[in-house]
Amino acid sequence: MRSIRRQLLFALLAAITLTTLLGALATYRTARAEANAMFDYQLRQLALSFRDQALQNAHIRDLASNDDAQDFSIQIWRPDGTRIYLSHPGKELPHHAPLGFATIDTGKGKWRAFGLQQGGQTIQVAQPLQARDELALAAALRTVAPFLPMLPMLGVLIWVVVGRGLRPLDAVARAMTTRTPVALDPLPENRVPTEVVPLVRSLNDLLARLKRALDAQREFIADAAHELRTPLAALSLQLQLAERATDAAARGDAFGELERGLERATHCVQQLLTLARQEPGGGDRPLTPVNLDDLVAKVVADQLPLAEARQIDLGVTPAARALTVSGDAEALHILVSNLVGNAIRYTPPGGKVDVAVGDDALGTFVEVNDSGPGIPPEERERVFDRFYRRAQTDEPGSGLGLAIVRTIAERHRASVLLDAADLGGLRARVRFGGSTAS
Amino acid sequence: MRVLLVEDDPMIGKSVQQGLRQDGHTADWLRDGQQAELALATTPYDILLLDLGLPGRSGLDVLTRLRRSANSIPVLVITARDAIADRIRGLDAGADDYLVKPFDLDELSARMRAVQRRHAGRAEPVIENGPLRMNPATHELTLDGTPVTLSAREFALLQALLEQPGVPLSRARLEEKLYGWGDEIESNAVEVYIHSLRRKLGAEQIKNIRGVGYLVPRLP
Repeated sequence: MRSIRRQLLFALLAAITLTTLLGALATYRTARAEANAMFDYQLRQLALSFRDQALQNAHIRDLASNDDAQDFSIQIWRPDGTRIYLSHPGKELPHHAPLGFATIDTGKGKWRAFGLQQGGQTIQVAQPLQARDELALAAALRTVAPFLPMLPMLGVLIWVVVGRGLRPLDAVARAMTTRTPVALDPLPENRVPTEVVPLVRSLNDLLARLKRALDAQREFIADAAHELRTPLAALSLQLQLAERATDAAARGDAFGELERGLERATHCVQQLLTLARQEPGGGDRPLTPVNLDDLVAKVVADQLPLAEARQIDLGVTPAARALTVSGDAEALHILVSNLVGNAIRYTPPGGKVDVAVGDDALGTFVEVNDSGPGIPPEERERVFDRFYRRAQTDEPGSGLGLAIVRTIAERHRASVLLDAADLGGLRARVRFGGSTAS
Repeated sequence: MRVLLVEDDPMIGKSVQQGLRQDGHTADWLRDGQQAELALATTPYDILLLDLGLPGRSGLDVLTRLRRSANSIPVLVITARDAIADRIRGLDAGADDYLVKPFDLDELSARMRAVQRRHAGRAEPVIENGPLRMNPATHELTLDGTPVTLSAREFALLQALLEQPGVPLSRARLEEKLYGWGDEIESNAVEVYIHSLRRKLGAEQIKNIRGVGYLVPRLP
């Protein structure tokens, strides 16, 4: 795993080492330049002092031996080219003597030399360049030396300081671990370093959203449990009546009731499952192009037996041209089925239910009109609430049908509008935003 | 007992009504609070079975208004919410007892009897008056220790009279106890049942005050 602490430790140590090395290099170069200037000056001074003393040949030997420590080599040539003096016979020295300063490579090391002429004789003072390099290197090493033993100490220091700097993150992490689904309080934002504030804020935002979602879920489960209690209570009563029945006819009636009760409980559970599946995150299926006329025809065919049983005139007004929306075909089928089913069940026998597909400036729509009693305007929003059931409805229902319709519509970015129908009852219109005519 | 059942769920309402009838009660069933208030104002019920989760006017509302109007009819609250707070609210609003869905029909009957008993100021489940000993829970009646078999209607009629010994009940009042709405009332049904009861128990057990009604004389 990547660790900020370790990364910072290595990066900072590397940066410090690099800076030190660059400093050493700079020191080396400066020291070299200074050594050059100084030694060149010495070479020249030495050569000049020889010129003055060369006249007294007897002194040369003493003079040269004095300078032994300085590792300067001195050579003197006659005008005919014969070397008359050599200070360090064992050394490989330059064989020729340019006048003035020169750098000469003898094959066994570079020499810095200064040559001058005096009375036909050529005097050369030479010094190996290596001496200068060593001097500069020593200077550079002196610069670096104190840093090297300090590196481990620096490492420890960086480790500690970075650790301290990252402590607020640990605190946030610890605070997060104490959060549970039942205790999703926001993290404290004060006393948090500026850099960590965005993290804490986004975590708090997430916590808030999570809390809302969990609360909604909890509420839903409580409601669902409550709503399941009603059909179960009915079932238990119907079962008791069946047990009490003394003759075959009464038992038959009781079992008939029991069966209807069971159907209703099953329907209720089915609707709950459908709703759960249609909720966002309930296993989204891919959207495919859905032809609305085909969809409506299928739904109407499915609902025809119910319509006939209730003597409802069920019909379709198809669109003028083929209309397609991008959607989940199964979900849209449930949506239209719920609307058509509601219309059939809440319209008195002999009534009319008309399903229409169309489009206008605002987009494509599917609408279900009926000649039933309609829904008063003040209740048209509430009927979408889960488990909301209107007063005085004889139709057994789960109170989830329209909640499912709305959930599916929202998934398709469609709106559901209830108002008065031309047929006298309710008009439920589902309007799709992003639709295309094909 | 003449029972008013207020329950919005058609299946539960129908089943409870049927169960109550099988137990020999006369049960009327309404599905919302407003209708219930109207019925309570016009019909003398022995007990009110009230679902709290009614659409429109809630059961709690009905109960509060009922008690405010000084109506002391025994009320048994039926609720699907089993949170203690809901039960406390119901009892505090003036309910005599509560039952949580799903419930058992026999338990419902037992609780109704208990509420009825407490309301009549009796602690013991058995009504005794002279040689008569009636147990509403078991539908048993004994006369001087000898069991007497009664039909459900006969039993209900005698119970109405035995609940308040010495208090005469008019024929109309007795009819109300025996018949719910929609029940076909035979013109001289009360007389027929009284006659039958007298035949089984002896004429002296049920007196008739002409122009007032029938009563069971209070006996030690």
